[in-house]
Amino acid sequence: MAVSNPSTLLPLELVDKCIGSRIHIIMKSDKEIIGTLLGFDDFVNMVLEDVTEYESTPEGRRITQLDQILLNGNHITM
Amino acid sequence: QVGGGPPERREGGPGARDGVEQKDKKRKESILDLSKYLDKAIRVKFSGGREASGILKGFDQLLNLVLDNTIEYLRDPDDPYKLTEDTKERGLVVCRGTAVVLICPMDGCEAIANPFVQQET
Repeated sequence: MAVSNPSTLLPLELVDKCIGSRIHIIMKSDKEIIGTLLGFDDFVNMVLEDVTEYESTPEGRRITQLDQILLNGNHITM
Repeated sequence: QVGGGPPERREGGPGARDGVEQKDKKRKESILDLSKYLDKAIRVKFSGGREASGILKGFDQLLNLVLDNTIEYLRDPDDPYKLTEDTKERGLVVCRGTAVVLICPMDGCEAIANPFVQQET
């Protein structure tokens, strides 16, 4: 029976604890998103607010979107 | 009848358990027991080319990981397959299991000279 030891920290529990805080999301590509986490689902699609998008390669800050975004969890790495 | 595959043909190893034979009890066991790496430094590689290392603090069956004191190894901007000396500290992170391609312990890893370099004859 492969049951995780209950004393380990579950990753989705940690994400849940971050609801309401500003978090930094790193995508598979050279893109990073910083925003306030409003919520997420089983697929770790995320709803964020007051978002800033950073592209690492051209070395510059990109778009700042407010009014909530839905971030597709398919490309999230960390 | 289109039955549930040929479970009997798979012999030996971790596949030969009661759970595999019955179609209702499809219990997928992890082939890697991560609990042995808890509180140890591990190296993780991701789909997309990112690499990171950190101390494993938690995980789940989907291979999502919690790493502490995480260091991300940055790639050469000209050649995304080449690692540079540069690193970035990321602190406490959750790694998405959907992106993880490799997990190995830091203990026992070392960089070696390229064994595939062609010899001049």
